[in-house]
Amino acid sequence: MTEVKVKKESTDPVDIENRIKELCLQFPHGITDQVIQNDMPHVEVQQRAMAINRLLSVGQLDLLKNSNGLLYRLKDAQSASKVKGSDNQEKLVYQIIEDAGNKGIWTRDIRYKSNLPLTEINKILKNLESKKLIKAVKSVAASKKKVYMLYNLQPDRSVTGGAWYSDQDFESEFVEVLNQQCFKFLQSKAEAARDSKQSPMVQRNSSLATSHEVWKYICELGISKVDLSMEDIETILNTLIFDGKVEMTIIAAKEGTVGSVDGQMKLYRGVNPIIQPTGLVKTPCGLCPVTF
Amino acid sequence: MTAQEVRLCGLLLQEHFGNVVEKVGTHLIRSGVLTLRALAHETKLPLDLVKKSLCVLVQHGMCTFGAGRRGPAGPVEYRINCERVFHMLRYPRYIYTAKSLYGDTGELIVEEILQRGQMTMSSTVKTVADRLTHNMPEGQSMDYSEVVSAFSQLVETHFLQRCPLASAGSSSSGAVDTPLPVATQPTEPESHPDCYKLPYINLTGQGKRRRSSEDGEADQCAAKKARTDDSECGDDRIYWQVNFQRFHLHFRDQAIISAVSCKLDQSSSEIVRTMLRMSEVTTPAHAAFTQALSANEIFRALLSSYNIARPILDQYLSLLVDDPMEFVGKTGDSGGGMYVVNLHRALANLARATLESVVQERFGSRSARIFRLLLRKRHLEQKQVEDFAMIPAKEAKDMLYKLLSENLVQLQEIPKTPDYAPSRTFYLYTVNQLPTARLLLQHSYKTVGNLMERRLYETKENKRLLEKSQRIEAILASLQATGAEAAQLTEVEEMITVPERQQLESLRHHINKLDSSENQVDETIFLLKSYINSTQASR
Repeated sequence: MTEVKVKKESTDPVDIENRIKELCLQFPHGITDQVIQNDMPHVEVQQRAMAINRLLSVGQLDLLKNSNGLLYRLKDAQSASKVKGSDNQEKLVYQIIEDAGNKGIWTRDIRYKSNLPLTEINKILKNLESKKLIKAVKSVAASKKKVYMLYNLQPDRSVTGGAWYSDQDFESEFVEVLNQQCFKFLQSKAEAARDSKQSPMVQRNSSLATSHEVWKYICELGISKVDLSMEDIETILNTLIFDGKVEMTIIAAKEGTVGSVDGQMKLYRGVNPIIQPTGLVKTPCGLCPVTF
Repeated sequence: MTAQEVRLCGLLLQEHFGNVVEKVGTHLIRSGVLTLRALAHETKLPLDLVKKSLCVLVQHGMCTFGAGRRGPAGPVEYRINCERVFHMLRYPRYIYTAKSLYGDTGELIVEEILQRGQMTMSSTVKTVADRLTHNMPEGQSMDYSEVVSAFSQLVETHFLQRCPLASAGSSSSGAVDTPLPVATQPTEPESHPDCYKLPYINLTGQGKRRRSSEDGEADQCAAKKARTDDSECGDDRIYWQVNFQRFHLHFRDQAIISAVSCKLDQSSSEIVRTMLRMSEVTTPAHAAFTQALSANEIFRALLSSYNIARPILDQYLSLLVDDPMEFVGKTGDSGGGMYVVNLHRALANLARATLESVVQERFGSRSARIFRLLLRKRHLEQKQVEDFAMIPAKEAKDMLYKLLSENLVQLQEIPKTPDYAPSRTFYLYTVNQLPTARLLLQHSYKTVGNLMERRLYETKENKRLLEKSQRIEAILASLQATGAEAAQLTEVEEMITVPERQQLESLRHHINKLDSSENQVDETIFLLKSYINSTQASR
């Protein structure tokens, strides 16, 4: 019997890479090493590793890790072109920032994750910023801290502070204005109820306003440039409670009625203080001309 | 006894009784309990002066005596009741209350008894009748029976009470057999069974008008007559004093009623007033709640002038019960619903409102917001304070530190690690209502002391001017009585020059302001003291 010579397929590196890319296209959520091995059983481990590394360094393949092992995924052309021309370190840093999502990440955390020295990190960050790939956002909690996130993402509420902060500044006048408007609304409602001269229960109930009503009133007033949610209005009403001008009761409401949250509704009512300013503070000091 | 309280006692004693009594009194307060000999020795005053001062203090109920540390065989020891001395600050308020409840007669009765400390009924009636007759137009005079009826009204509503029987029997007979009361526990006036029983006296007649020309003779006659009359009237040795506790309960009720009317409306406050009136004499002094009253009883007791129908009354009562301030509570459903007034809770709310108003007036409404926030939420971190109060971080920090330095806010440290490293501990801000109330009470005492000293200083500075104006007035009065011409009167009046007159006017204005401030601060003192006492009683 003549030996059957099994023809060895050419293990051209480029072919391996193309094959891997085709496999990635077949399985868009990633392929494991096992899959590549099954497909090309004749390719040796070293050649396979070399091909994969080349694809990674060129930036056409993404390396991910899941519970079973390593996964390779094709990077879409868009993002691949973005980081073209940058070296490995920059790509690494970029990836870390991308992973942080819209909460942003601090320089110290980037350093921990990438194990790069601080000077390198700073250089890379400057580079990326000039290329307009990332941006720095000042955190409202600690004013010296800067977090980095991708250029086109909206920073999260916890970083900017939500509706009460504009450009990292607490808008106290805005809060004051809202405060006074809500109080006036509740006060006028209470007065209308008192003047109606009906039975006391009806009077009391008509002086109550739900948080939903107050929210609608404020929205219709149109004094706010930013959209305010009902929770925002409730925080404003809480400050009125702490001013002693308003009191709150919670009642059970049917699910589905307007303004109810988890089967409860909050009702607010304007009140008067229970005593006049006390005698101790009415005494004049010795220097005031009031005494003379 | 804090330093401020001792100072205030000293000022009050000096103003009402003079320097000698003040010296004796302050020394006794500072030392606690002393025997007569020790007191005389330490104050370096002659013995009879010390005896007289102690008599004055005992007469007014401010000093009590009893068996000392060496037991009944040893010398008697004296101690001062500081609370009674502070009540002197409130005399104008007592008199005003009596006037608003029982008219001029009541006012004069209370005033006389407050001035003398203790009096028999007959002597009070005579003095008051004479004073009223003096103010009435010519030809009329005050009948004793009217005064007697006012007096009995005051006793019925417990505003006046009999003085507790002192152990006078042993001192007069000289024997030491009858045991003296222990110095630490003075006999309670209410323990006497006849505390509010009027004695039977036969007292008929009318007030005598005093003529200014017969001053000297009339005095002597009146004095002689008074002595003989007393033993005739049959109420010898039954002395009456003002029941301060009853007045305090009345003030407390007034405060609660005005708070309800501010918070809710007039009709609710009338209902609460009715409830408090019905339980005036049945509720013990330090009770946390009044007696339970059924809605039926309240409806019957409501005055018809308020014109509240039965279903409306029920609605008002349920509104009062639902109110977050919890003035009124419901304890049962029998008789249309049983309701009580929560006295201790109402006092706590009033004290809380007082604290908040002090912070508001002194530090501004934003600091008041932080203060109320901490009162409600108990313990908060700095970041949370800023978030809840919606105040910019820098300002909130500034305000919190200011309140902290004034000791109105306290800091609680909670460590995360066994070593109290500052970066690893939680710092929580908190407000405790009771210690803050005590702090403000001491502030109030200091304020009243300062006001009194300022008033005395102003009077002393202008003593010359005041004496001159008094002399001029006396001359004017005598000239008018003897019938002088208008020219002479104007001549005398011109002895005071215009700038002096202005100065006098401004001085009078100033002293009046200081006086009224004292009364206002006294209201704060009353509220805070009632709150502190109520917390102590419940413990």
